[in-house]
Amino acid sequence: MSVTDWEGFPFQGIGTDWEISTPLLLTAPLRARLLDRVERFDAAWSRFRADSLIAGMARKPGRYRFPDEAAALGRLYSTLYGLTGGAMTPLIGGSLEQLGYGPGYALQPAGPPLPAPAWESVLSWSGADVAAREPVVLDIGAAGKGLLVDLLAAELEAAGAGSFIIDASGDLLAHGPEPISVALEHPYNPEQAIGVVELAGRALCASAANRRSWGDGLHHVLDGTTGWPVRTAVATWAVADTAMLADTLATALFFVPGTALQEEFDFSWLTVFSDGSAAYSAAFEGTLFS
Amino acid sequence: MRPSTRKSPSVPAGPPANNSALRRTLYAGIAGLSLAGTVAGCAPSAADAPPAGNGAAGRTSAAPSGGSTALAGSGGSYKDGTYSADGNYVSPNGTETVGVQLTLAAGRVTDVQITQHPSNPNTRKFQGEFAGGIAAHVVGRNLDELNVSKVAGSSLTSGGFNQAVGKIKSEAQ
Repeated sequence: MSVTDWEGFPFQGIGTDWEISTPLLLTAPLRARLLDRVERFDAAWSRFRADSLIAGMARKPGRYRFPDEAAALGRLYSTLYGLTGGAMTPLIGGSLEQLGYGPGYALQPAGPPLPAPAWESVLSWSGADVAAREPVVLDIGAAGKGLLVDLLAAELEAAGAGSFIIDASGDLLAHGPEPISVALEHPYNPEQAIGVVELAGRALCASAANRRSWGDGLHHVLDGTTGWPVRTAVATWAVADTAMLADTLATALFFVPGTALQEEFDFSWLTVFSDGSAAYSAAFEGTLFS
Repeated sequence: MRPSTRKSPSVPAGPPANNSALRRTLYAGIAGLSLAGTVAGCAPSAADAPPAGNGAAGRTSAAPSGGSTALAGSGGSYKDGTYSADGNYVSPNGTETVGVQLTLAAGRVTDVQITQHPSNPNTRKFQGEFAGGIAAHVVGRNLDELNVSKVAGSSLTSGGFNQAVGKIKSEAQ
């Protein structure tokens, strides 16, 4: 049975469409566990719901105990904060809200771009404990969707699922031996792709600056040192062992050349720039159309 | 399918960070490759030459520039054809060889191929990581040309993209 014949379990989670595909139908109890996992994740990390831990921290500084996944998340963000000189930061939430990308989706700037506060001066992130010295808006958008993909994959593995695909609206994890063919969406034309890759046993995540844009050069990938949207790269793809890493590095490619990231992380990458050119690592050799 | 565009030597992926000595020697060993952009740049038809080498250099900041200057200074014209050469570099595994093939047409570099023939498995791994590249222009292809299970793209559109794929596939049956 080819992967295209697998059973799909579609659902909504953290503001986007998901689909888990498996050779065998997922049982009702397993589906319930997966949906519960999504809900618990959202309840902790959503910037868009008033009852989340994140929202609480934005209202009131102090020490907050996040779910276990916070430990790996904090370490990864800390590494990338250093690599990007503070440009990539989980403290970017306030900057995003300033430009209109916050609860209520005003999508109207509330004022000039606002740099994110310096991590070391406002935030202490130790394991799953996160302490803020002042009200801060955490945003784990660079890693969050991939992280939830990994958490759902862990649920599926624990339930004995050998092969599955988790599709979080274009961020993908293919678990098991069967390779799947994945099209790389054209950054300017969603009816086209710029290449096809084979994915097996790893995660492929994408990030694009031209989606979720709301006009006049404003989009959701912001430089934490200036509060301005990043320019030049328009779309990135990263392949890594975990979806959290792939998701995060896809965003990091907007700040750091793939060649530099590759010295720190075991991953493959493709970056398309605003002039239509592309750069890529060896694993993407031969995957682009010509 | 391979991109028809140039491969650039100036996007070395790099071995692990603790191996900077190896990385430096590799840069030196493949420095000649950066002449790809220079040859195009000093040829008569430079205006139409895609900025392969230079574009990559600007982005990666890892490109050696010394080799380019030397070639530019040598002057003269280049005959059309495909040229191959091997270069050596010393790695912790011993002396390794990397092959370079340039294709010239009308004074422009139209193709660059890197041939890897390392003798040591570890070097083979490192060289594999170096063989990334650049494409001057990405090329889009319509959905109905593709046979894929999934699409990796940005989140708000790919749901629609996937639906479109499914629709096209069902209509095509």
